[in-house]
Amino acid sequence: MIASRLLAAVAALTAAVALAGCGTTPAPPVSAAAASAPPPPSLATSLATAGGTWAEVVMGGSVARHDNFWQLFARPAGASRWNLVTPPGTADNGGLILAAAGPSLIAGFRPSQDLTFSPLSATSDNGRAWSSDSPLDAPLASAADALAAAPASENLLALLSDGTAMLAAPAYTSWKTLTTLRTLAGTPAGRHCGLHALTAVAYTPSGLPLMAGTCARPGNAGIFADRDGVWQATGPAIPATLARRPVAVIRLTRIAGQITALLVAGSGHDATLLAAWSADSGLHWMLSPVLGLGAGGVASASFGASGTVAMITTSGSAELVPGERSPWRALPAVPPGTATLAPGPGGTTDALAVRRGTLTVWQLAPGHSSWVRTQTIVVPIQYGSSG
Amino acid sequence: MPGMNSGLNISDPTVVAAFKAALLHQGLIALAIFAVLGLAWVSVRAWMPAGQPATGPPGAAAAEPSWRRLLRISFGLIWIFDGILQAQPKMAVGLPSQVIEPTAASSPAWVQHVVNWAGTSWSYHPMQAGAAAVWIQVGIGIWMLAAARGPLSRLAGLAGVGWGLIVWVFGESFGGIFAPGLTWLFGAPGAALLYCAAGGLIALPERAWRTRRLGQLTLAGTGLFLAGMAVLQAWPGRGFWQGTSGRHAGTLTGMITSMAGTPQPRVLSSWVSSFAGFTAAHGFAVNLVAVAALALTGIVFLTGQPRLIRPALIGFAVLCLADWVLIEDLGFFGGLGTDPNSMIPMALLGIAGYLALTGAPAVAAEPAAVTQDQAGWRARSGRTLDRIRPAAVRSTVAAASIQSVASVGAIGLIILGAAPMAAAQASPVADTILAQAIDGASAPVNYPAAGFSLTDQDGRPVSLASLRGKIVLLGFLDPVCTSDCPLMGQEFRQAGQLLAADRAHVELVAVNYNPIDTQLGYLQAFDRQEGLNSVPNWLYLTGTRAQLQQVWHAYGLPVEVLPAGSMIGHGDYAFVIDQRGHLRQELDFDPGPGTTATRSSFAAELTDAAQHLLAQS
Repeated sequence: MIASRLLAAVAALTAAVALAGCGTTPAPPVSAAAASAPPPPSLATSLATAGGTWAEVVMGGSVARHDNFWQLFARPAGASRWNLVTPPGTADNGGLILAAAGPSLIAGFRPSQDLTFSPLSATSDNGRAWSSDSPLDAPLASAADALAAAPASENLLALLSDGTAMLAAPAYTSWKTLTTLRTLAGTPAGRHCGLHALTAVAYTPSGLPLMAGTCARPGNAGIFADRDGVWQATGPAIPATLARRPVAVIRLTRIAGQITALLVAGSGHDATLLAAWSADSGLHWMLSPVLGLGAGGVASASFGASGTVAMITTSGSAELVPGERSPWRALPAVPPGTATLAPGPGGTTDALAVRRGTLTVWQLAPGHSSWVRTQTIVVPIQYGSSG
Repeated sequence: MPGMNSGLNISDPTVVAAFKAALLHQGLIALAIFAVLGLAWVSVRAWMPAGQPATGPPGAAAAEPSWRRLLRISFGLIWIFDGILQAQPKMAVGLPSQVIEPTAASSPAWVQHVVNWAGTSWSYHPMQAGAAAVWIQVGIGIWMLAAARGPLSRLAGLAGVGWGLIVWVFGESFGGIFAPGLTWLFGAPGAALLYCAAGGLIALPERAWRTRRLGQLTLAGTGLFLAGMAVLQAWPGRGFWQGTSGRHAGTLTGMITSMAGTPQPRVLSSWVSSFAGFTAAHGFAVNLVAVAALALTGIVFLTGQPRLIRPALIGFAVLCLADWVLIEDLGFFGGLGTDPNSMIPMALLGIAGYLALTGAPAVAAEPAAVTQDQAGWRARSGRTLDRIRPAAVRSTVAAASIQSVASVGAIGLIILGAAPMAAAQASPVADTILAQAIDGASAPVNYPAAGFSLTDQDGRPVSLASLRGKIVLLGFLDPVCTSDCPLMGQEFRQAGQLLAADRAHVELVAVNYNPIDTQLGYLQAFDRQEGLNSVPNWLYLTGTRAQLQQVWHAYGLPVEVLPAGSMIGHGDYAFVIDQRGHLRQELDFDPGPGTTATRSSFAAELTDAAQHLLAQS
């Protein structure tokens, strides 16, 4: 009798321990992780290419979405002034997705209103002239890195709003599915990460397609490379101090021969930001120091030529990390209306501030503690043209 | 509720003019109906041999009791008045968006869903629906006034019940009984439900007239309702006890203030505003009076004691009158008032109940034809056959009273209103009047259309000359346009469906209207986006920028590449080209507000144009 009661007690205890997860913190369920995933940064961004620097901001200042237009500005290499180079022909109220393709830049139009597919335009002269490419017959995802061009072949990789990744060879008339969120999440690498959202696509310097997303399982950076038809996890190892937090890759891009990623670990007041760089297709990564985000998320993130990452938080503070092995540096309070930062040559940083149809460029020189207005561009917003 | 709003101004001159014209035409037909019926009646009576006209049904007829006469005449007049209100110019466009939609806005989703269906139907066919409401209501009113007794009179009551229910459900969102803030003071349970009650009483068989039981039941029902309303009015937490709540108006004050803002004569507005101010200052007292009056009246009505009911009824009538003027604002001003609201019908029902309770029971002989029910079906069918023989029909017509003839005329009026609406309902597309209201009528022309040689969405060469022998409905569409062109594409797709039977004779053609995105991929993506790839006779043409510019120029169409992220600046046009290659119509195809209600109107216009040409060939 006593033995059977003891056996029952042991069984109950075992069951209780099993139900409690043996004292470990279980991975949050996918739905809970999705709910706590950091909001993606805005499409407002800047990136550096061989030809110069590009910056994209939304302008118009209207409460009506169809009266706000995304504007593309270019600062050619060696120049100090920005030019308005928004590609013509399509209403861009839904946003522009940029992809550097060698000397060219490809811009994908996110659909808006009754348009449901994504037109593509390309320029190879710093935006002075644009040519229309065949469209992507699907909506691009609302992510700054939803479009990527391969370094040599100029194949295009596109992330759609439904989590499908599509691939096309130049001319871009024929698109095929590379993978989907569901497929990738079902691979061993995806299952290990608990992948529940895709946030970015990129190519490695050697031309391997990369996918990035948000992992439900703590301590995993969801970056995957398509190596010989097999998706493999290739994200950086997360520091032990962050190993119990879910990680979201909020930006992933290839600039100047290396992959740069921005990762947010945790959420809410505990959210921290990491920049990561890889020069060898994701086999090895260098991580920046951890930056606490406080209550704010990342409003805009930008990438400079030498691996510089600059970002503005939703609470209005600005930080910059010049590259691997450098600490984050807090920038002076950005001018009102700053939509994005543009790291420039010589350690300068431009802040692009928007007020309705006017863009004001402020510059922060190295070693200075205040922003200096350098340029004002009045953009002829065509209010009502998309209404 | 997207379907209800056509986006047009409620005073849109095109629709208002068309609505007036429709009413005028139907009014002339109505006069003709009465004239023909009158002439037929007079003629038949004149032809009948002397002494033969029947003098009425066999058996002594019961006199119509006073309560019934009161209901029949008063509600007949109210129906006619409501019909006249429906003829107000703003009704055709304004009723769905300005009356039905706001009324349903605070009701639960399922009510809004039901109401939206009806509102959308009205928005699709504003003239037919507006005219139908006029003639049906006027018809019911005349019918009630004309038919004093007999089956025709009872049927008039039933017609009132039927149409009243339609108005109550779709026009008044179930009288707002499912919405918060329900109060008798603002018309609960909806005027149309009271019309139904009156119609139901009128439809009762004559044997129900003879006892006081009917009066007792009517008053008891009214009393129970009023007592319930008193409880609702007194219920704490509904905001009726407070004239003001903090810096905001209390529930009752807010309602009265909103009524004062309705366009109306200044005197009335000033009375209502003053009462709103009084309620704000003395909200508790006003509600106490209302609760007490409703409760007391309800209880007294429930007793069924005439001595008690008489003074209570007088008080109730005064209360109804005061409410009608000071709170309900008479109900029919502002250009979109549909009825004089609930207080007059409510008072009439109370008075009718009292008359039924106290009036002397009517004395009537039993119908002489009781044994009819015992007759076999052969005999009955034989008598039916006898009745439709020409001689019997003549005899029946000659025997009919002028009231019966007027009743038949009134039924004709109802059909006159209902038939065009029913026919319009059968159409899946909106009336072309909406497109014409937005862009004006199309311009008829007749000269050779400018030719073109371009490439279709599949890469095949197409020229206008190659389409000779077919009607060409030609549009100009920018494949990456985000607003108008997708709507226009949908219009073309719908026109393709409407013209499916004439597919071999009609070609739906669009020319690319974008000088930058000229590749086939754009056309194909647009076709998939709008479902046009399933339209067999659809051609979407493109070419080099120079080729396209030549076509745009030939058709007089402007194109402007706008800066700063805008779409191509272009117009919205469509052309109708006949089988000989002649341009026959130019349509401004700007979808304007692009609402659910207006969208298919353009498809209807295109279809009409093609069918008109097909009919000519």
